[in-house]
Amino acid sequence: MSDAAIADRRLHPGTIALRFVKEAPSTLLALPAALAFTSRTGLTGALFLAAGLAGLLLLVKWLAWRRFRYGVGTAEIVIESGILHRNRRSIPFDRIQDVDIERTFLARLLGLAKVRIETGAGGKDEGLLDSVSLDEAQRLRETVRARRAGAAPADAGADADAAAGPAGSILFEMDVPRLILFGAFNFSLVYIAGLFALLQTFDRFLPFDIYDPARWLGLVDEYLPHRWTFGAIAAVLLMAALLGIVAGILRTLSRDYGFKLSLDGDRFRRERGLFTRSEVVIARRRVQLAQVDGGPLRGLFGWAGLSFQTLGAGTDRGGFQSAAPFAQRSEIEGVLAQAPPLRLPPPALIRVSRRHILRSAATRLVPALVAILALSIWARPALLLLALLPLLAAAAALERRFHRYALADDLLFVARGVWRRRLWILPLANVQALSLSRGLVQRRLGLATLAVDTAGASLLNAPRIIDLRLEAAAKLAAEISRHRRAHASGRKSGTDK
Amino acid sequence: MPFEPLERGLLRLMQIHGAAIGGLLVAAAAAGEAVLHASLALPWGLQIGPALLVLVYLALWSPPRRYRAWAYRMDGEELQLRHGIWTKVETLVPLDRVQHIDISQGPLERALGICSLVLHTAGTLHSQIVLPGLARETAERMRDEIRARIREEPA
Repeated sequence: MSDAAIADRRLHPGTIALRFVKEAPSTLLALPAALAFTSRTGLTGALFLAAGLAGLLLLVKWLAWRRFRYGVGTAEIVIESGILHRNRRSIPFDRIQDVDIERTFLARLLGLAKVRIETGAGGKDEGLLDSVSLDEAQRLRETVRARRAGAAPADAGADADAAAGPAGSILFEMDVPRLILFGAFNFSLVYIAGLFALLQTFDRFLPFDIYDPARWLGLVDEYLPHRWTFGAIAAVLLMAALLGIVAGILRTLSRDYGFKLSLDGDRFRRERGLFTRSEVVIARRRVQLAQVDGGPLRGLFGWAGLSFQTLGAGTDRGGFQSAAPFAQRSEIEGVLAQAPPLRLPPPALIRVSRRHILRSAATRLVPALVAILALSIWARPALLLLALLPLLAAAAALERRFHRYALADDLLFVARGVWRRRLWILPLANVQALSLSRGLVQRRLGLATLAVDTAGASLLNAPRIIDLRLEAAAKLAAEISRHRRAHASGRKSGTDK
Repeated sequence: MPFEPLERGLLRLMQIHGAAIGGLLVAAAAAGEAVLHASLALPWGLQIGPALLVLVYLALWSPPRRYRAWAYRMDGEELQLRHGIWTKVETLVPLDRVQHIDISQGPLERALGICSLVLHTAGTLHSQIVLPGLARETAERMRDEIRARIREEPA
């Protein structure tokens, strides 16, 4: 298009400090351990080694900084990097989707910002400027916006623009009370496990070995006879639950504080974070499908979360971008209205075949039965576990209750999950491939699983309709295919993918 | 439009693969058996027996069935594949969703005169769709046909 850009800018020198601080602990923490294994040089030796290592690390960081340059040309952004192996990358403006800015707590202290140039080609760090000053980040973004606006092609999705709200309008926000409520629902004992992991990392500084079983057993022996009461157990459980809730609230606050989703032209802009403030842009055109997350408890109060699966953007959860993590139905509706053709499903979704219960129960019953019988060889009382087997059937029945689907015009809706209730809203135009599979048991029962593949989906988390009646599955597949064909032929000259 | 079968060469390929893997297994079992028989005085055949069964399954029983299960059909809009003997899978790929196409041919495939058509889509579950056992001309014709359907826009 025009002459090549010159890479004439460097990252902010503060970057060296930032990266050093970020990486030094992991390098230096390993030091005492390494030392203990190799020799006994004492404290002075350790300090000396630490200083040497720190110096080396600093040198490497400084070299990397020195050898990293970028520049903005008339048609592209170029990035040159690599200490020994030089790499020059040019990113044309018309490939750039947008510029994301992220600021960690440390970066905010230093007035820095991490800039990610989003091109939508996979989740790689293709245009990462880590880090520049905040002013520079904003300047870069303005430059990219201006260049893009000048060369913006007329999008095929004209209907999509019709519903656009005023530029920069806020679609969804969360205040602190709501965040606290959200955090309470995010209750998780995982954080307690996390605490233990932390203890493990620092256990060499603790006066006792937390993995000394004899010690724990000793403690139990010491205290249990006196404290083994119902009240004590209840208190411990209550404490654990409370800790879980507090941990959930803290985590949610730090991640989602000041959550704001706004609409700016044809993009969503999301800001969030207490310590690490991030600003992510989701181009509406890149949204492949929407997912609504619910749970039995939060669902009772009408709360659910909305996220978008996008095509190769920065990922916080396997191609998913949270758009409204804790919202009421009307709020979700409001956000979806800005991303046509997405919308919430009709009230009547169809359940999968009744035989789903049979198959699901059967596939679990057999291994469970084998396990119990095997166990009973060693311990007779294990046979009592057989009484639990009907629970499996009940679980299967419950599973079917929440596994539903519907095809409505140009959207496919799939809902699945009892504890983690997911609802996928999938525009048929975004279907990449379809597959109908029938396992051994399924064939006996005349069932089939329909999987719909979309761009950017995660393997485990893809919309799949499990155990449809074979005819229903074939019909659904044919319907999707027919719809897609009609759409494709009506849009021959379109540019979206 | 009827589903079309794949070249016979694919059956050969499956048999050779099965025989190779099964053969390795039998060899390993024989070696293990020689050791265990000497040290533990286990009866002969405790390891070779099952290994032989696996060999029969991999080299004789499953290839013809797997081969027969394979079929494909392509019209102007979609490619449909069918395969699998235990779990039967039918895949449908809209041709305008294909990002790029490869024709791949390993040394064995070359000797047998077949090749594989590999379709890459932007999807995750089916980011690569492989149609093995095609004659070179068929694969090239299909590739050209699909290429004509792919829009110019790069990813």
